[in-house]
Amino acid sequence: MKTTEEILTLAREIAGAWDWTTEVTQPEPNRLDVLLRNPADLVAIVTALRVKRLGYLAAITGLDLGAGELEALYHFCAGEVVITLRVRLNGRETAVASLSELIPSAEPFERELREMYGVNIIGLPSPDYLYLPDDWPAGVYPMRQDFDPQVLSRKT
Amino acid sequence: MSTVTSIAALLLFPSGLFLLLSGLAYEWADRKLLAQFQNRVGPRWFQPLADVVKLLAKEEVAPDGVNGRLFVALPIIALAGALTAALYVPLFGLAPAFSFPGDLIVTLYLLSMLTLCMGIAGANTLDRFSLVGATRALTQLFSYEAPFLLALLGPALVAESWQISEIAAYANGRYLLLTQPIGFLVAIIGLMGKLELPPFDAPEAETEIVAGALTEYSGRGLALFRLGKGVEMVVGLTLVAAFYLGGVANPFAFLLKTLVLLLVMVVMQALMTRLRIDQTVGMWWRYGALLVLAQWLITILFHAISQVHLMG
Amino acid sequence: MQTDTQRERFTIPIGPQHPALKEPGHFRFSVDGEIVTGATVRLGYAHRGLEKLAEKQNWVQNIYLFERVCGICSHTHATAYCLGVERLAGVIAPPRAQAIRTLVCELERIHSHLLWLGVSAHEAGFDTLFMYSWRDRETVMDLLEALTGNRVNYSVNVLGGVKVDVTEEIAQAIYKGLDFLEERTHHYLQVVSSDASFLQRARGVGVMTRQQAEVMGVVGPTARASGVTRDIRIEAPYAAYADFPPQVIVDERGDLEARFVVRLKELLESYRLVREILARLPEGELTVRMPRRIKSGETVSRVEAPRGELFYFLKSNGTDTPVRVHARTPTICNMTSVVRLAVGHQLADVPLILAGIDPCFSCNDR
Repeated sequence: MKTTEEILTLAREIAGAWDWTTEVTQPEPNRLDVLLRNPADLVAIVTALRVKRLGYLAAITGLDLGAGELEALYHFCAGEVVITLRVRLNGRETAVASLSELIPSAEPFERELREMYGVNIIGLPSPDYLYLPDDWPAGVYPMRQDFDPQVLSRKT
Repeated sequence: MSTVTSIAALLLFPSGLFLLLSGLAYEWADRKLLAQFQNRVGPRWFQPLADVVKLLAKEEVAPDGVNGRLFVALPIIALAGALTAALYVPLFGLAPAFSFPGDLIVTLYLLSMLTLCMGIAGANTLDRFSLVGATRALTQLFSYEAPFLLALLGPALVAESWQISEIAAYANGRYLLLTQPIGFLVAIIGLMGKLELPPFDAPEAETEIVAGALTEYSGRGLALFRLGKGVEMVVGLTLVAAFYLGGVANPFAFLLKTLVLLLVMVVMQALMTRLRIDQTVGMWWRYGALLVLAQWLITILFHAISQVHLMG
Repeated sequence: MQTDTQRERFTIPIGPQHPALKEPGHFRFSVDGEIVTGATVRLGYAHRGLEKLAEKQNWVQNIYLFERVCGICSHTHATAYCLGVERLAGVIAPPRAQAIRTLVCELERIHSHLLWLGVSAHEAGFDTLFMYSWRDRETVMDLLEALTGNRVNYSVNVLGGVKVDVTEEIAQAIYKGLDFLEERTHHYLQVVSSDASFLQRARGVGVMTRQQAEVMGVVGPTARASGVTRDIRIEAPYAAYADFPPQVIVDERGDLEARFVVRLKELLESYRLVREILARLPEGELTVRMPRRIKSGETVSRVEAPRGELFYFLKSNGTDTPVRVHARTPTICNMTSVVRLAVGHQLADVPLILAGIDPCFSCNDR
């Protein structure tokens, strides 16, 4: 079992390897926040975390920052440490690679992210909805800030 | 026997209406006792009757894709089979209404009609739960049927008759339970399998396949199947009590002995976890059939020896 | 290419309404005879949009909202939420409040595990155990009612503390109730590890190796029954768990029997913890003052729910309403394992495998 200090140092080292695309902060003593400037690096960083056996994927949080900007937060937990990989997605066309090949348990989290925020996850095996009903209108994402429940009552 | 008494025997007592009601009474006793073992209150005394009356009054919905005539006919055939079987059995300590040499075999096959009808009823619908339930019901039928038959033929062997009334007369006062314990055990467990009581309720395991073969049945059909099951319980208990527990010569002995048997069955229901269908089949063929065959051989052997002694 | 000989797949739908499911979910199992060859799951039948609603309500209102994510582990949800908000605000609840939170957490775990025991026994077709365990569960429900006023949704937490206190009288009642439950739990432990008819349904069925458990990301008692030593109460102690550390219960076997044994042993551990908390309950205030507006920032709050790790992510922008509250419940982590473990098993084992993870669909859907 690694101590909290060791985990934090190791995680900093890993994130530091992508110097030009990441920005590492420590908002709380047990949390490390890694902002990925280039979403394409996600799979590589996660692979590095896996190789070093650093934590498990606890959750993926979606955030709508407004003005069409989305964030996907990949939380990795190890002991009391939470390492958050923050992927920023701009514009209406949003795409991020799926982690489900690497971490099978990521699949339900990614499907939720796709359905609720409209993040295009590339490489997810199943195209079906997990949470939303089959007749849910296309292109409507309930957790986005501009979601208007009225669209559901309008019958197309 | 005059025509009037014959018709009365068929429709009112001991077969017919009275038998239907006693089937419901035994069902209630089974449920109530089980509830007591499980620390519950259990149903009120008229609950099975109320259920049946309610079901009879309700609309019967025939789902799409079934053979309509078969759908209606099967519950009637099932109940008729069980009621006919009752005619050859010394119900309530009275002599059987009808009797002929070899009626034991006929009765046992009539008793299987219910399960067979339920299997066909399940296979008749398109419902997946019904189909799986039907497969299981028939699989289970083939597993317990032979051992159960052999177990009831054990007393027939020593009584040297295939006629229920004669076997019952022979067994009266003789507790064959003591000389053929394995046969008794197989008979009572086989009866539980026949009635699909826990732990042999895989064909209607509600947590897997809802109500099994009868999932699509409602209203009258369901009520008739349930009545059939109640009748079968009474007939089965009577047979086992008459053959193994020293006979049911009078109504009091009948009541006492069948209720003791019912109690044994309830205890087993309360104590055991439901068996998977493969476990049920495995248990019957690996243990049930072999043990009862061994019992048979021993019985035949002893019988032959005693015959030789008598002659010598 | 389609061939004529290709066998038509026979699928058995379980849910959204099915007697095996106490909550709505939809599984499709394709079967070959009695053997399951494939499984898929659809969720969302109990989706109430709580995370969206949380963005419209203030921090205090949201306690009551998140308490209603789940009817069984409601206190755990509220605790995770309150601890997170307190951390954002830079406030620490007084020690007595933390201890009472922990106490109710453990009582809730007792109630949840006993409930699970009954449900699982029923799925296995062992109704006698079901009836008895639910009868005994009433004991802890009564204790919770005496302590908090409610049988479920205890509403113990407020931001900055708790609103119920443990009196000497209630403490004595809890001691007495636990003595009874402890005796019963020992009995159940003996039943599930020695009853032959039960064991042929549970032993060696639904085996999940440690490696599988790690790959599938299962959490809580389900993971611990496969030898994964992970318990948030120990790894990242919250509330008063640093002062009252539990023992982690692990079983290496990974089958259904192990899941029964682990949960029952956790019950015994919870009884010990509750007694210890009652014996050394810190004196002092129950609440501290909380600001109405919460400082802007983000935080993560993790607690060990009865079903496993519960993960809350909170984001504030300095106003009296949150920007985002994300709850990741244990069931969603465990659900994948059901779909995978079911393949190759008998159809009759599926309900028990599903019950083995102690699924909570309404937690899962939120």
